[in-house]
Parts: sequence; C-alpha cells; structure tokens
Amino acid sequence: MALYHNPPMAYAQEPTTAPIEHRFNPYSDNGGSILAIAGSDFSVIAGDTRQSEGYNIQTRYARKVWQLTDKAVLATNGFAADGNNFVKKVKQRLEWYEHAHHKPMGLKSIARMIQTMLYGKRFFPYYVYNILGGIEEDGTGAVYSFDPVGSYEREACRAAGAAQSLIQPFLDNQIYFKNQQPEPGSQPFIPGNLPLGTVLSLVVDSFTSATERHIEVGDGMEIYVVMKKGRSTDDLLGDKGLASGMTIEELPSLGESISEGEGGERTFLVRQALKRD
Amino acid sequence: MNSVLTHIQPSSTHSRLEEQDEFEHTDSAAWGSMAGFGNLSRTGGIAGMSVPRVANPTAFLDMHTDNMSSNPEAKIKIAHGTTTLAFKFQGGVIVAVDSRATAGSYVASGTVKKVIEINKFLLGTMAGGAADCQYWETYLGMQCRLHELRNKERISVAAASKILSNIVYQYKGMGLSMGTMVCGWDKTGPQIFYVDDDGQRLKGNLFSVGSGSTFAYGVLDQGYRWDLTDEEAQELGRRSIIAAGHRDAYSGNTCNLYHVKENGWDFIGNYDVNELWYEYEAKKKADRETATAATAPSPMAVEP
Amino acid sequence: MELNGGSVVAMIGKECVAIASDLRLGNQAVGVASNFDKVFPVNDKLYYGLPGLATDVYTLKEHLRFRVNMYRMKEEREITPKTFTHLVSSTLYEKRFGPFFIEPVVAGLPTPTELEPHPKPFISTMDTIGCITTPKDFAVAGTAADKLYGVAEGLWEPDLEPEDLFETISQTLLNAVDRDALSGWGAVVHIITQDKVITRTLRARMD
Repeated sequence: MALYHNPPMAYAQEPTTAPIEHRFNPYSDNGGSILAIAGSDFSVIAGDTRQSEGYNIQTRYARKVWQLTDKAVLATNGFAADGNNFVKKVKQRLEWYEHAHHKPMGLKSIARMIQTMLYGKRFFPYYVYNILGGIEEDGTGAVYSFDPVGSYEREACRAAGAAQSLIQPFLDNQIYFKNQQPEPGSQPFIPGNLPLGTVLSLVVDSFTSATERHIEVGDGMEIYVVMKKGRSTDDLLGDKGLASGMTIEELPSLGESISEGEGGERTFLVRQALKRD
Repeated sequence: MNSVLTHIQPSSTHSRLEEQDEFEHTDSAAWGSMAGFGNLSRTGGIAGMSVPRVANPTAFLDMHTDNMSSNPEAKIKIAHGTTTLAFKFQGGVIVAVDSRATAGSYVASGTVKKVIEINKFLLGTMAGGAADCQYWETYLGMQCRLHELRNKERISVAAASKILSNIVYQYKGMGLSMGTMVCGWDKTGPQIFYVDDDGQRLKGNLFSVGSGSTFAYGVLDQGYRWDLTDEEAQELGRRSIIAAGHRDAYSGNTCNLYHVKENGWDFIGNYDVNELWYEYEAKKKADRETATAATAPSPMAVEP
Repeated sequence: MELNGGSVVAMIGKECVAIASDLRLGNQAVGVASNFDKVFPVNDKLYYGLPGLATDVYTLKEHLRFRVNMYRMKEEREITPKTFTHLVSSTLYEKRFGPFFIEPVVAGLPTPTELEPHPKPFISTMDTIGCITTPKDFAVAGTAADKLYGVAEGLWEPDLEPEDLFETISQTLLNAVDRDALSGWGAVVHIITQDKVITRTLRARMD
C-alpha cells in the first residue's frame, strides 16, 4: 500500500472548521420497480416487494400496488412514505366520491383526479411515480402513467422506478413489437392485443431480469390482474397451470351493490417469489 | 373541516411560511365532483397548493427537481426536451410537434401528446414541464368555456393567451417551466401567441420552441411564405419536425400535425419521424441521381 | 461518456461471438455523424469496441494497434482474446490518474491449439481504468448500458447459432438505443465464427 502513502494530488481533505450546513431534505429513494400492461379486456399491474434505502434492505415485503376500486389498481414507486400517504389520500377522495354519487369513480376520472392531487403539490412534490391500471368504462384495459407533478397519458404499457430503463426497452420489443417485422406472408402484429398468458409471462420475465441486474429489485412480486365484466378466467392459469412458487387469489369485490356471481369486474392477485440476493 | 364556514368567511391571506392545515383550504367541492377539479379555488389556482415550510421554497424546489436544469442530478426528474412549432399563413395556422419526453438521457416516452386541445378552436403546445403545460392549459380550457357562458361569445386567442400568461406571471420565479404557443382562429382571423414561464406573451406569425427549435427554424425559415397552399404548409411543418427530430437527441419519435382553419382545428395526422426521414433521404438520393444524369460532369469533379 | 454518446454490446453464442455498436457521434444534444464506428478488428477472430469519449476512441485505437503489431513481431503469432484483454487493461491502468474515458468491450474466438482443441468463445469488458470482467453470457457498455442489460437479460439464451445470435444481438442493440437519447443513428453488427466474420449494418431509427 506504499503506493498510496503520498497521494499525487490533494486527496486528503483538511479537517474543516466551517459550520456544517444542514438543509431540509424530506425525500428518500426506496428503490423497486413497477410495471403495467393493458390488454384488450384486462389489465395487469405489477410491482416488486423490496423496499430499500441505499444499500440496505428495509423490508422484503412492502406493498407498492394497491387495489382502489373493482376496476382500478394503482402502483406507486419512489419515496415510500410519500407513496403510502398519497394512496391513502386517493382512497379517501374515492370514498367521498362514492358517498356523494352512490357509485364508484370511473377509471379516467381517477386518472384526472390523481393529476390534480399531484399538481396540488407542484411546489413541494410527492416524490412518487404512479401507474394506474384497470378497466375503462367501455370495457377495455387501460394504463395511465404519471410523472411526480401530475402530467399523465394513457398508454398500452409502462415500466417505472429503479429498473425502468432495463424493463421498458424489453417491453417496447415484446409488447409493441418495436424493431420487429412479421415474416413475409404471416399476420401483421397488433400491439396491445396480446393474450393474458403471454402478458403474464412477460411481466415475470421482466422482473426476473431486473432482479438479476438491479440491486434494488427483488424478494417478491405482486401482479394484479383486473378483468372485464364476464370475461373468462381460464387463461389466467395458462396451459401448464401455475409456475412453481406462484400463488393466486381472487380479491373480494369492493362494491356493495354487486352480489357474488352477478358478474362485475374481477381482480386477481398473483404472487411470485424473486431472488433475495 | 369541509364546512360551509370556510366559504362565507373571507379567506385570510396566509403567509407561505405559516403553519398550514391542509383541509383549511380544501373547498367542499372536493367532496363532490367538480370534474375532478375539486380542489381548485374559486379564484384560479389550487386552493391548498402546498408549499414547503422552508425559508426559500424556490431554492427547495430547485434542489430536488431537475426542472430548472441547475441541478440535473436531482431525484425528481420532470420530463423535458421538445420541438414544437406553429406558423400562420394564408390558409390558417399550422401546428406541428414531436412526441419525445426525456429524463436525463433516458427516453421516458415516445408517445407524448404535445398539442393540447383546449377546445374546438384553440390549441396549446407543450414545451418545458409536461405537467405545467398539461395542467394549466386544461385549466385554461375551463376558463374559456366560462367566458363563452358568460359572454355568449367565443373567447379571442388574445384573451385566452392572456389568461394563461397572467396565471404563470402570478407564479413567476417559483419554478414553473413552460414555453407554449396558444393557437386558434377568432373574429380577427388566425392567431398565434407565444406564452412562457416568465410571463412573456408575444404575438407573431411564426414560432418554434424547445431544444430542437433551432433545427426546425432552419427548415421553416427557408420554406416559409404567406401564400403557401394548405398542402405545402402542412408539408413544411412536418418536414421541420422531422429535421429537428433527426438532429436533436432530445426530440423525435413521432410528429403530430394540426391545421387550424376558420371552423376550428383539424388533426391532420401522426407520422413516424424515422419512417419519414428514410422517405426524405430516398427522395433526396433519387433527385441527386436524376440531376447528375441530366448535367454533364463538371471539369472540377473529383472521384467520389 | 455523455459528451459524444454511443454504446457497444457483445454476446457469446455456440462456437461464435457477436459484437455490435451504434454509429452516432454527437456533441451533447446535437447529432454530428452517423458513421462513427466504435468496433475495430484486431484480426479475423478478434474484435473490440470502444464506447466513450470520441477523441479517446481514436487515441486508444491507434495505441492498441501499435502494441498489437509489436506483439505480433515479437511473438510471431496472433494475440489471443484473453491476452488482448490484458493488454487493453494495462494500457488503461497506465493512465490510472488521468484515465481514457472509454469502457472497452472485447469479443473473440481463440484459435484451437493442441493443448486446447475446443476453446470457448470469449468476451470481456473493462471499466475506464482497466478492471476486467469476463462474462459467460453478454457484455455491455456505453450510454445505453442499463437499457442493454435489461433487454439482453430478457432475450439472450445459451448456445445460440450464428444467425440466431445475430437476431438476438441486433434486437438487443436496436431496442436499447431507441430508449437512449445519446445512442443510435445507425448500428453495425459483427458475427465472428471459426470460418468467417459476418458484418451487417442495420436500418436503425435515425431520431
């Protein structure tokens, strides 16, 4: 280590006597990634469950994806405290709306409400990237993605968070068929109309890939699947049934008026383990 | 605290540093529905627009967002990078924009709608902070509708753009970021007003805004005439965006083209910047070949 | 790295390797050239890519050409991918306190010898001061490195035949650079097999 005894430049810092400046920093980054893909009559919203700060894992199970109504699921990513608080407030506003109108808020209205709520804190932003997924009034699957201060857009697929730059180009290729051409004579690609089985395996592949290459992603993932009213659920399990380590449950309807079996939108929660290293 | 009381009492003027109860400012309209604008005050902005309790809120915002580009390492990345243009000509107004949004060098989106349809006769363009443009131009749409209801007449482009410039002037120095063109057709004919975040409002025939604007101006200026036909004008707008999308790293993906005429705006189309670029290159090559075939080789010609 | 932009990716296949790069040379936001190749041959079994600061690309390329020629003359044989990697590494470490702003990627097929009749395809990558990593799957570097990791991790599989490897590396590069503002503007792919090198330029997005 003799090499380092006399640093060639002034690497060694003189101890400072100047007062240390303390600045108000209310933000932190809790890592993780979220992702949503819209199908023709379903929507898939997923997120990993690791919560970290720097190189430390705070917990291996923290929720990032939230069921808001029977047809809306919200994924949050960024600063967990802001995210949790934001979801709490969104749910409060949704409850107020239901009391005033005797019906749950529609998906596109939730999207607009989220914009105004985020923009309300334009000068003290929520450090949260939101992705809203669900079923639109016309029964189509939809994904809305937001920036921290409320600009939003409806899309067919979106990844956000720590591994967004790893996942999004993969999705461009596999969902939008970017840089791909159909073989001569075969059917043209139609983006946004993939079968549920394909979408689910792409979601799982995206997260296992991100887990391999990003330290802030891993532990486990939660995939919410929102299905259009009356849609068959057969393809949820796929041809080979559930993959190992995967569990699935149906979430009870949040609406009061719709009784069991009458057939509203249905939401399923698929859990899948990810690597913990 | 969603009581009627807060309405009948004159709203007290709060200092920004004062302790704020969020619900104190929440309009009871938030309870029901005001088209999702439930948390707007009656006078303009957001009632409970929260500002951090620090000595200098602007410096705070500057530190944590990359909005004002003085702190590109900031955690909260707000989408930017753009090419937008609008010009007046004999046949109305052409509005053309790209669709790329970047956060650092990452292309966050390639499908952004940078033309905001304020109403059937008014268009706004988006450059700078996406949320600032989207939010305030949507809000401008509400104000324009209220103007129609109150005055039984459509708002002029001048008045509409002034509502917007007055809003952003109120927030001057607080870190809003927008460079927008309010375009439309009113009693006085086609109009374009440029409005930006420091409150500047300019009337003009031709504007281009954003990181790719210099490239767009290059094509625009050499091809611009007042008596362009509709097709020529649309092609000029499109060609300018393709040129900017090609050269500027932070512009591209697709081009959205609008044409404002006497009876309101028309959406002309969405064009892939890449596909059009290859088309233009193929045409250039073909033109070169016909030109070289027609003319005799120059005595100064050097081997290719 | 962010001044000129650019990215390189290399992948291992079944008895073949592939290396590909974009063709952009930029001055920050402005694209300047769309024919700036960052991948160079050492011989017909060994290629390397130099993404990073454009001025250092040329300097380092010429520097390495000199050293490889010296090696050839002294040893009277071609340099192996592994040895070349160490040559690049030590060249970079010489400038430990004023480094080249380059993250090299090396891809090659070692020639079969009596000791090793079936040598494995080889790729390696380094940081700016020459710390070597030798992956068994793929190596990425440049401004689109994170995007390349994501797509490559999703598309790559072991033992790809040359044509399948070409498709995999092309899709990886193309889709990654389309999400990077500073890379793109054309792409070139080299597939190295025992009997030939296939070089193809791709029709990439030009925005």
